[in-house]
Amino acid sequence: MTRQTIADLPRLGLGLGLRNVHFEHILTHWPDVDWFEAISENFMDSGGRPRHVIRQVADRYPVVLHGVSLSIGSTDPLNMDYLARLKALAAEVQPQWVSDHLCWTGVMGLNSHDLLPVPLNADTLDHIVPRIHKVQEVLGRPLILENPSTYVGFRDNAMSEPEFLREMADRTGCGLLLDVNNVYVTCYNAGADTAAYLDAFPWDKVVQMHLAGHTDCGTHIIDTHDQPVRPEVWALYARAWQQTGGVSTLLEWDGNIPSFGDCHTELLKAQSYMGGAGFQEVVAAAHPTAQPGVSNPVSFLVPQVMDSATSLDP
Amino acid sequence: MTRTLPDLQRWMHDALLRPEDADPADAAALLTPNPRLTAAQSLAIYQQSYRLRIASCMREQFPALCHALGAGLFNDFVSEYVRDAPPESYTLYDLGRRFADFLEAHRPDRDAPDREVWIDFVVDLARFERSVFVTFDGPGAEDLPTATAQTTDAALRLNPSLSVARYRFPVAQYYLAVRAEAAPQPPHPADSCIAVIRRNYITHMAPLTASQYGFLAAMLRDGAVPADMTPPWTTDAKVRDTWLRAGFFVDGSAQA
Repeated sequence: MTRQTIADLPRLGLGLGLRNVHFEHILTHWPDVDWFEAISENFMDSGGRPRHVIRQVADRYPVVLHGVSLSIGSTDPLNMDYLARLKALAAEVQPQWVSDHLCWTGVMGLNSHDLLPVPLNADTLDHIVPRIHKVQEVLGRPLILENPSTYVGFRDNAMSEPEFLREMADRTGCGLLLDVNNVYVTCYNAGADTAAYLDAFPWDKVVQMHLAGHTDCGTHIIDTHDQPVRPEVWALYARAWQQTGGVSTLLEWDGNIPSFGDCHTELLKAQSYMGGAGFQEVVAAAHPTAQPGVSNPVSFLVPQVMDSATSLDP
Repeated sequence: MTRTLPDLQRWMHDALLRPEDADPADAAALLTPNPRLTAAQSLAIYQQSYRLRIASCMREQFPALCHALGAGLFNDFVSEYVRDAPPESYTLYDLGRRFADFLEAHRPDRDAPDREVWIDFVVDLARFERSVFVTFDGPGAEDLPTATAQTTDAALRLNPSLSVARYRFPVAQYYLAVRAEAAPQPPHPADSCIAVIRRNYITHMAPLTASQYGFLAAMLRDGAVPADMTPPWTTDAKVRDTWLRAGFFVDGSAQA
């Protein structure tokens, strides 16, 4: 049987991240959302309610699995146990695709629980390309990789991120998840031009886009996923929508998560940018807020875990 | 300065875990400054995020312990903990697995002739909160046949989510008081035996007598009603019914 390629992947419309605080609402109202994206790690080891919920959601909606721990750029060996668990979850929920990030999360058997950047050069490509091939072989499907938010640049960088992503995709057949908020964050922090970034992006490789909010800290911007999408990011999205011909779009909201309805309303704003009217040349500029930001790449269910325990009254 | 990719990643990971040991000159040699931040300042964004993220996750996993210690002291313990035992797993669910053991091993009175009671409480509360936390998403009985009054003792099996433990303090009461925002004071020592269980995807805790604890601990060890023990419902018939309704047991007829 011929293996699936990124050209085979469907356009799903506008989707939301599947978050624990919204489980009850979703299971009760079955809202009119095109699709859901689930954080793989929140479900792959679950023997409890998250696994129970995602099975039901996957019965009703298209689902995509989005990981934060593949660590494709790490110089540690690939975690085959992790991959086996991811594959088992994929077999169970039949996602439209499986994605992760162009990053590494740790080395020496340790984990930073962050999405750390890789040097953008030929050596890194030569390291990552066979790892992507291996992951795709194990999963039996193309891997989709996302541009991360970055806060440092390496002196060893020898190419731009779009150039790196293009060559990575060309050599592996993997697809790309373009996070337009991450483009804004990375460009601002690097003092780079968002238009030039998008000009160089390999649009034909894009399978999905992400939208999210960020926090301006004055000297830098942090990808916090804890507030509405900024106008400057919507402007980038307007262009990206045109360039991709309208690939699947997903809103991420991982901190200070509002009601499902508010998240959905924010997502549907995307419709007003699909005609291209919202696009303008964007210069990444900070609008500082007072609060410190913490990058939040790892959506996590813990708060609801400890809220749910009660005294037993048999 | 050029480093191989493995060397570069080891350097950056070390700089996140032990920022106090990181040489700013290395950051300047390996990272580029941007128009607003030096290389070291840019690296500090990752360093600070690592510290704050880990502390935040640990506060979520140990809310009562955080209340007992106060956020400042709790965060200090967490900083020492992850320096001593950095995260190894890809999942944040594993983050607190070794915390109680760490607190016990690093207690300031470990070489003193008399142990300080409040440290015993801290260790016990950490153990208890970890047991509640792992019960949420571990194996459970939701898809297994529920035991009923008609199930024979020989066919009784424990709900896979059930755990029991003995503590030196009434930690469950303290935990529930924190959850109720009752601002409890640290309790006086008092032995308590507690079962933690998940039923219909909701985690519950139930008090046990010392003998009930001993019986359930033996069931956990043996996988079934121990042949050499008299079940507590032999002397108090209500116990079996109470535990059945609480979901302690599944019907293991198929494998009995």
